[in-house]
Amino acid sequence: MSITIHIKCGQDNWEVSVEPTDTIEQLKKTIKEITEIPEDSQRLIYSGKILKDPETVESYKIQDGHSIHLVKSGLRKNNNNSQTSSNTGTPAAAVPSNIAAGQTGGFNPLNDLTSARYAGYLNMPSADMFGPDGGMNNVPNQDDMIRMMENPMVQSQMNEMLSNPQMIDFMIQSNPQLQAMGPQARQMLQSPMFRQMLTNPEMMRQSMQFANMMNGGQGQDPANSFPAPGETGEDVATENTTQNINTTNAATATTTTSTPAAGNPFAALFNPTMNPFANAQQQQQGNNGNNTTPAFDPSLFASMFGGNTQASQPEDNRPPEERYETQLRQLNDMGFFDFDKNVAALRRSGGSVQGALDALLNGSV
Amino acid sequence: MSSKRISKELRDIERDPPTSCSAGPVGDDLYHWQASIMGPPDSPYAGGVFFLSIHFPTDYPFKPPKIAFTTKIYHPNINANGNICLDILKDQWSPALTLSKVLLSICSLLTDANPDDPLVPEIAHIYKTDRPKYEATAREWTKKYAV
Repeated sequence: MSITIHIKCGQDNWEVSVEPTDTIEQLKKTIKEITEIPEDSQRLIYSGKILKDPETVESYKIQDGHSIHLVKSGLRKNNNNSQTSSNTGTPAAAVPSNIAAGQTGGFNPLNDLTSARYAGYLNMPSADMFGPDGGMNNVPNQDDMIRMMENPMVQSQMNEMLSNPQMIDFMIQSNPQLQAMGPQARQMLQSPMFRQMLTNPEMMRQSMQFANMMNGGQGQDPANSFPAPGETGEDVATENTTQNINTTNAATATTTTSTPAAGNPFAALFNPTMNPFANAQQQQQGNNGNNTTPAFDPSLFASMFGGNTQASQPEDNRPPEERYETQLRQLNDMGFFDFDKNVAALRRSGGSVQGALDALLNGSV
Repeated sequence: MSSKRISKELRDIERDPPTSCSAGPVGDDLYHWQASIMGPPDSPYAGGVFFLSIHFPTDYPFKPPKIAFTTKIYHPNINANGNICLDILKDQWSPALTLSKVLLSICSLLTDANPDDPLVPEIAHIYKTDRPKYEATAREWTKKYAV
């Protein structure tokens, strides 16, 4: 049985009767007969959505007596189809790219998160991960992250997102560090390695451990035994950790794309010649090496280690005998009396007696 | 309580929507809607269809709905994230307001911006000092994103 619906267009109002099983395309033909607006220029809107041609009237739950809005677009053909997405792909430089163009294939990375198909979806991170302004001020805790990453649904969604060039644009645009990296960033984000890294929970766990190690190790380092300012609260620590993960991933990805290391993506970390991490790591331990990090924006690393690096890295100007007092005494006790060699070995090991012993015994100092 | 009120608003808006706005639930969740606003004919947004996402709080109508544009729009009171600077969405909210009234207010905000309480000061500045430039840019954005 047919239903009557109202078509509203500005001040005009028409009544049409349709079968609930009719497609929107058929409805547009009917409207054309009344209004003489060609189907191509008709945009029908109901319940806040643009109606798509192949769908049926009943699929939009349009019922007898309901009203539909008609907007004349007077523009190109197919304009209300998915073509919009390709249009937005190459925005003019003056105008920022679209965050979303409704549901017509425009791009809003948050659409997926908020859309109803994930309603009641248990493993999504809880709402409290978003700060009061909607930003992710409160970083989700690691368990949450891991649990989320292990979910195949999230993984496939991540993959989907990362294979979308618009998503990559969005990520680059919204992250000043990535922006600073220029074209490298895009290449990096598109590399399968990186994608795998972001979607692999095992990887996530590894990098969290790594980040923890970096943070934790520093706290225990006798040379830096005073806590870094701002590192006192646990919240701050976790925040740093999570921040590390993101950038850690990013950094490793670039490294690994240049030396595709099979299996363990961190393998590259242990190759100091080309590894930006090595520098950071050395600096972390108070060696203040004057290494440069070629092809990398230093700010990336500054942020990589969060407040820690900046906060706890005031240059240690104390003379080595004072700085390594305890370690030197231990080395003396063990029968290593060459002060210069001991200091060099301790410097190399970042203040670890064990590491210094290795170096001394190897004769590498 | 809130779901009853929202259902009633849905029934009203389905039967007799405002001339230039349309809204409805995105899926089965009554608290998450989307809306579209047709650019007012006497504004640089004419011809555009702008989408918005709406989240009703569980204590609606005692708290205002959260409304944001999902279509990019060049306007002194709407920022790049789609957030809208409108008093009735904040401190001037009243339980007597309905979603269609709010949407109509947003429509009138499109016609008459409020550059003295801007969310994007740069656009407000251009709006005040070089109105033709503002209108040209707004038209360009509308054509690009909302048509």
